[in-house]
Amino acid sequence: MATATHEKTGRRTVRPASMIRQDKDAVILQVEMPGVAKDHIDIQVEDDTLTIHGSTVPGNGDEYLVRERRDADFYQTYTLDETIDRERIDAHMEDGVLMVQLQLKEAVKPRKIAIAD
Amino acid sequence: MARELMTRRMNGRNDWHPGREIARLQDEINRLFDLDTAESAPGIFDRNVAPAVDVRETNDEYIVDVDLPGVSRDQVDISVADNVLTIKGEKTVKDATDKHHVYRCEIWSGSFQRTLSLPKAINADEVKARMADGVLSITLPKREEVKARSISVNVQ
Repeated sequence: MATATHEKTGRRTVRPASMIRQDKDAVILQVEMPGVAKDHIDIQVEDDTLTIHGSTVPGNGDEYLVRERRDADFYQTYTLDETIDRERIDAHMEDGVLMVQLQLKEAVKPRKIAIAD
Repeated sequence: MARELMTRRMNGRNDWHPGREIARLQDEINRLFDLDTAESAPGIFDRNVAPAVDVRETNDEYIVDVDLPGVSRDQVDISVADNVLTIKGEKTVKDATDKHHVYRCEIWSGSFQRTLSLPKAINADEVKARMADGVLSITLPKREEVKARSISVNVQ
């Protein structure tokens, strides 16, 4: 099996479980990265690509009786289309879940046009 | 003549390569394994999700780490009886409204439960748990009498 490794850290990476939703103002990306502290997340936007990298603490030499959690970093790239405003992307982290708000460009938002008297 | 026709016909169908199809299938399967997901319900009658756990042992204690992203500390219930540890709770998806159009959802929600039998009796009064960055970490000290003791033996 071809397991992915990060080009800089050389550490194994897995694709985090995610949810992508959209409402009338923004696309909301929710990414589950258990064990990743806020300071260990790297989010980058370059041209049309949004890259998310979250580093976890590597396992130390402890003796494991059960080991199911993956000893890997999280890595995922997304392609942004032209409706996303590159300047208005916000992110915050809560309980190991990263929430990224990608605001839509004003031009693509639905507009209600009032009729002048 | 017939053979020539056949080869020509075969050459015309160069769009489809079984090898390429197999490579594509392999890519798809690899992508599936690359995804970090919680284990699904292990039995037919078990409706709970079993989150992934690590159990570590040191000289004095057991340390249990559970992946629970998106679960806050008041949504988790931990109980200890003898050497059996039970972790259960409910996971809800944040800001879930039906106003959204969902494109992709790999995040699970609902109740979860995990029961672990530890190899040796633990001191239930001294169990500590903390929640950080979506990982529940429980420290369970071993009972005094079962701790490994080193005895020095003088060789005559």
